[in-house]
Amino acid sequence: MCQIIYNPQYKKYNLGANHPFDHARVEMVIDLMKELGYLKEMIVPDIASIDEILTIHGNDYVSAVEDASLGKQVNDLEKFGLGTFDNPVVEGMAEGARYQTGGTILGAQILLENKAKKVLQLGGGFHHAHKNLAAGFCLYNDLAAAIKKMTGAGWHVAYLDIDVHHGDGVHEAFYSDENVMCISFHESGEYLFPGTGWIHELGKGMGRSLKLNVPLEPFTEGESYIEVLKGIAEPALKWFKPDAVVIQAGADAHFSDPLADLMLTTQDFEIIFKTIIQIVDEYCNGRALFTLGGGYSITAASRIWSILYMTLLGFDIPEKIPEEWRAKWEAKIGKKIPESFYDLLPAFEPIPRKDEINRHNKELIRRVMDAVAGDWI
Amino acid sequence: MLIREVMKTDLTIISPETKLNDAYALMLGRKIRHLPVVEDENLIGVVTDRDLRLATSKLSEQPFDPEIQVRKIMKYPVRTAHPSDPIELATRLMRELKIGCMPVLEESKLVGMVTTSDLLDALLLLTGVHQPSGRLDIRLPNRSGELARLASLLAGHKINIHSILTYPDNERNVRLVLRIDTIEIKFIAQEICNAGFQVIWPPHIACVK
Repeated sequence: MCQIIYNPQYKKYNLGANHPFDHARVEMVIDLMKELGYLKEMIVPDIASIDEILTIHGNDYVSAVEDASLGKQVNDLEKFGLGTFDNPVVEGMAEGARYQTGGTILGAQILLENKAKKVLQLGGGFHHAHKNLAAGFCLYNDLAAAIKKMTGAGWHVAYLDIDVHHGDGVHEAFYSDENVMCISFHESGEYLFPGTGWIHELGKGMGRSLKLNVPLEPFTEGESYIEVLKGIAEPALKWFKPDAVVIQAGADAHFSDPLADLMLTTQDFEIIFKTIIQIVDEYCNGRALFTLGGGYSITAASRIWSILYMTLLGFDIPEKIPEEWRAKWEAKIGKKIPESFYDLLPAFEPIPRKDEINRHNKELIRRVMDAVAGDWI
Repeated sequence: MLIREVMKTDLTIISPETKLNDAYALMLGRKIRHLPVVEDENLIGVVTDRDLRLATSKLSEQPFDPEIQVRKIMKYPVRTAHPSDPIELATRLMRELKIGCMPVLEESKLVGMVTTSDLLDALLLLTGVHQPSGRLDIRLPNRSGELARLASLLAGHKINIHSILTYPDNERNVRLVLRIDTIEIKFIAQEICNAGFQVIWPPHIACVK
């Protein structure tokens, strides 16, 4: 059984009219599931308390975020990554971020109490938020807070990040923690924000060889992505055998995403979600908490997360997206919505370096496995 | 960047009377490869782990006894650096002389050591990622004011530049690799392109002239 978590208050996490982090992406998913008769009751989480935020973030940082969000004058905004191009100061942002964090923490709670095996949190996924630094549209690291809740109860937790950007904030939070395995699949930091997530970043001290990074080549396509996902995530989770997995299911590795350069189709995402669920069911007690994440092509992200929803709840994916629904949302967002959940193939021009890219990615499996082999005993 | 910023100052020093085997044990124990030899507070030579191994190797024509003093095998005179030298000066000398370290002297006193490892650390500091940031690769006309124009465009968007790396491209241009604190690298690349700069990365940026 899969439990859905959502709070309309998530909308308060609004970084401005033209900001790519657009709440409409989630509203579209919910409205589309309703249209298809797939919408089930959603649990409404409470707002996360300041104390819960402080399990991950520093005092001064949290005060700065909260004060700036209330419109108060804050010194040293830039030191905390605030008031920047990516993280502008917007009134109410802290409250919105805490609502979203509350949802992810509730997801952890549901798993801990064994009330469901799968949870889909229709928000959250703020993996770039560091202990004392806002970055990449992220303020409070809901994922880290939820993972900490579970490790606090004695669980071993795996974190799997398929957002196109490196999950740097979560990796940093648990870099030397032996109870948390982090695996991030992302476009190589040589090219993409945040610039980290290299193979050699393996964790420190007791957390050594528990932090895996898979920096994929720009223009990586689905087949190669899935080969690498299976080649690394499966043996890793089989070995670590966590009590639960937290998945940051960012949708920005889609080929149409304006912020990055990977080339997945919505079909690929369906395979990825099914692969992850299969691994979780086999090696991780079947317990998984999925959050959203990046995804800045609004028409792709809404379809990808709808596919995630339907896959988790066991609904068949309809051939067409209802026309009336499309017309309604096209008017709202001013963009054409594809007729189908699946992308029309071929979705893009052939990639000239495809063979080279695939070879490079295949090597990643061996290089990551070689790097950890000495410690995985 | 100056030698004083990269040199090591917690030095392990030996005297010319130190035995070869003691010097070698010292290197192994402290995980270092170069030992300055000092007599009466003056630097009189340098011994490397390679010097020690070659001197005592069975493969050499006349292997030295490990019990002899380093004075017999140390290299001198020693080429040295000054704390105020720019690191590129020491780097160039070390490449030309094919040596792996330079003792750093100030007023004839040994104050530090700089090795290839320190220079690699400096390279990492210059090229590495120290804060979450995106990468921009620009071809910039090699004339005054162009970098300023680019920097003010970024400042106008409240985007901070974490690091700038430049190298010669051809006669007219330089390549510029910037690390800037935004995830929206394509958006800003478009703006930069529209302002007349040539964007190498991210790719496929179509400019509006």
